Amino acid sequence: MADLEIRNVSVKYKKLTAVSDISFVANSGEIIGFIGADGAGKSSLMHAIAGIIRLSGEIQYRGYTYKSPQESEKIKSQISFMPQGIGLVLYGTLSVSEHLDFFADIRDIKKDTKFLEYKKRLLHMSGLTDFTNRLAQNLSGGMMQKLSLICALLHRPKLLILDEPTTGVDPLSRLELWDILDDIRQKEGTIILVSTAYMQEAAKMDRILLFDEGEIIAQGTNKELLESVRNFTYAKMDKPPDDTISFDKKTYSLKSLSIQHKEPNLEALFFVNALKKNKTLPAIKIQERQSQEKIPQIVMRAEGITKRFGSFVANDHINITLKSGEILGLLGANGAGKTTFIKMLLGLYSIDEGKLMLLDKAIKNSNDRINLKSKIGYVSQHFALYNDLSVRENLMYFANMHKIPIDAALNRIKKYSYELGFDEYMDKFPKELPLGVNQRFSIAAALLHEPVVLFLDEPTSGVDTLARAQFWQILHKLKTKWGISILITTHYMSEAEYCDRVVLLKLGKKIVDDSVENLYKLHPNAKSFEDIFLTYFKGER
Amino acid sequence: MKIFFIVFSKEIMSFMRSLALVSVVLYAFTVDIYIAGAGMQIKPRNVIIGYVDYSGGGLSKKILSHFHQPAFITPKPFLSRQKLSQAIFNKEVLVGFIFNSDFEKAYRKGQNTNLDVLIDATAASQSLTTLAYLQNIIFNFEKLKIPLKIKSHKLFNQNADNHSFMALTELLSVITLLIVILTAIVFVKEKEDGTWDIMLLMPVNPKMVILAKSTSQVLIVTVGVILSLGFVLFPAFNTPMNGSFWNFILLTLLYGFSSAGIGLFVAAVSKDVMQVAQFSIVIMMPLIFLSGAWTPIYAMNPIFQNLSLFSPLRYYIEGSESIFYRGTSFVDLLPYFGGVTLLGIVLYLYGFTKIGKLF
Repeated sequence: MADLEIRNVSVKYKKLTAVSDISFVANSGEIIGFIGADGAGKSSLMHAIAGIIRLSGEIQYRGYTYKSPQESEKIKSQISFMPQGIGLVLYGTLSVSEHLDFFADIRDIKKDTKFLEYKKRLLHMSGLTDFTNRLAQNLSGGMMQKLSLICALLHRPKLLILDEPTTGVDPLSRLELWDILDDIRQKEGTIILVSTAYMQEAAKMDRILLFDEGEIIAQGTNKELLESVRNFTYAKMDKPPDDTISFDKKTYSLKSLSIQHKEPNLEALFFVNALKKNKTLPAIKIQERQSQEKIPQIVMRAEGITKRFGSFVANDHINITLKSGEILGLLGANGAGKTTFIKMLLGLYSIDEGKLMLLDKAIKNSNDRINLKSKIGYVSQHFALYNDLSVRENLMYFANMHKIPIDAALNRIKKYSYELGFDEYMDKFPKELPLGVNQRFSIAAALLHEPVVLFLDEPTSGVDTLARAQFWQILHKLKTKWGISILITTHYMSEAEYCDRVVLLKLGKKIVDDSVENLYKLHPNAKSFEDIFLTYFKGER
Repeated sequence: MKIFFIVFSKEIMSFMRSLALVSVVLYAFTVDIYIAGAGMQIKPRNVIIGYVDYSGGGLSKKILSHFHQPAFITPKPFLSRQKLSQAIFNKEVLVGFIFNSDFEKAYRKGQNTNLDVLIDATAASQSLTTLAYLQNIIFNFEKLKIPLKIKSHKLFNQNADNHSFMALTELLSVITLLIVILTAIVFVKEKEDGTWDIMLLMPVNPKMVILAKSTSQVLIVTVGVILSLGFVLFPAFNTPMNGSFWNFILLTLLYGFSSAGIGLFVAAVSKDVMQVAQFSIVIMMPLIFLSGAWTPIYAMNPIFQNLSLFSPLRYYIEGSESIFYRGTSFVDLLPYFGGVTLLGIVLYLYGFTKIGKLF
């Protein structure tokens, strides 16, 4: 019998089924990875296993069976759960050592020499030994997650459940988090269930469960999973047939194609799964823009831009230039200053220091921006839409705000809804739609007035692999057809591949600014962008 | 101007689609006002009286017979003073009379006599008014010869009915609270969803958007006021309308903008709807207490009297009461209109500059 057995577990919220009939087993010392899109049921299953929400089916842990939160009380001393969200379990006004004392007290741990030694080891592993007096609110995102993790480890749990512990955390901290996990499972024999949004991390897991629509659609080791899609992965075709999906230099097809195979990655699982379900990416077509604009060579030039919030420097003398017809990726972990920078460009935050030129115009005050508003498109974090208006009404409202004549607006809305593939959702409310659809329709809202530059703030976070692939296709088409310049922020380092040039921010400072090809030339040994950025994070320490 | 109507109608539509907000507004303008008006009791009602009669009846019975329904429950006899005190202690009785053995004897002889009264002062207003009743009744038995008769004429409110007064005061407070909260929520919801940033980046004048948004909320509340007058105040409490209805609506609209100004300020400083609720209460409570809604202005400490000059609600309440009860004409209402407008302009402009910030 395995140490942890999940048998036919389902989780329902009113009418919605989040997890349906899932079973798997895990043994001590194993790291089980959950991957899948947002809303695929990973978090719900984790909550169920942690004994927080009601479930049907049963869970057996070391011979003890539980089906409800009440029954799970008995084994809670052996479980530890870390919910999604950076620093969610921390108290901003408590210091690192106060946190450790607090969590030890709640868990009623005897503070003997053995515990003190263990605590010291945890602090050392997490690299927080020198920061024991720092308040949690002043820690960086990576440090917060490491502190959350060691707080969860204080009572030496035998079952550790971590819901996306690394999302939005810088690459180096992410590596360190994984080192801690590896160490713990070897020394303590802990079962670790961990979900992640980064496919590169999945390779470090002993077994991977792939979730889709509340079910496990594939499971196995990294190698097994890759093997399962190897036969469907090809080099990219120029004119791929209809029942295939092409993305990122690869074409996926269930039928055999007459071109050579290519080494697959875990993302291929999602594409192949979509193909098996007869879903293909709707073709994205972008027509020429209706209005002609003369676009200057340099769209945006920021020199020494600085923003301070009290004593905290969010952006420290940043120089960035955006050329015409360029996709510039602004990368960095949560809290690196990406959003602050975009908000200063847009005028939503005041600029404390530095010079800003937008479309050949020096920006000194809000009056300088008035004429520029009609040339800039902006998609904010979490797709700012009116939740009480339908998709059509939302788009009409934005069109009216841009003073686009009614018939032109109706035409464009219709055109975009077909081109970006959301025409069937026009009379739905944004809350009822998948994130990927909302993402495409916010892009449509930002394109209604045919801008010459697009600012996109984390448009891909939380969106599933397929929708992300589609989104990048839209951006590339826009670039070629419209000659538009795009500044996009993301915390997925791997998305750097799809940009022309990338700027990497770390704690408010620019540490990399180069074209994608140059970066690969500079780091010939790097397998992915993750590796390249890691060298910069390490070097800066 | 077209933008104004687009934003305005969008806000009205959003409001109508939000079941929670519509029901809160309907509740506040009907049930809440009815409860405030009908539930407030200053006169005694169902007061329980106990007594101990050592005098043997006669005069004592005559006095007790004055205490009857609906104000009082038929007085309850007790055997001893201790038992009566005990009952008051246990909150079984609110007021207790003790007729001593020589109570009637002394009265008949024309000497001074004593009636001992025990009252539960924790229910201050009810027991003290009972005491006043008792004094009035005793007064009749004293057969004093004073060449003075009191004839009172009650103006504006002949039945001395405080229900309609309480209901009106509640309505005016509800208006204040709702405009502040609704206006603040309209902006904060956009802040929470991130649409406010997008709005500021549209090539429209943000001032127009702010104006349209706050006007829509003022209008929603004005409609609520009319509903409340038609369905609660006039039919249930017979509130008189001695002045001009349109004067009142105009005053309400003007007052609405000064409250909306406070709402804009609240929206500018709060991050989410939760904070709006907290800030609104903190800001509104002193404004309501200083307005004369609960304590008449002349009864306040001079410092507070001066501070109350800065509460737009003061002018609104005095103005509205003048319109409803006194039937004051427009010319004599001008000071109230002036006060509301002046404070309104200041508050609205302040809130306006706070929220519409773009660099």
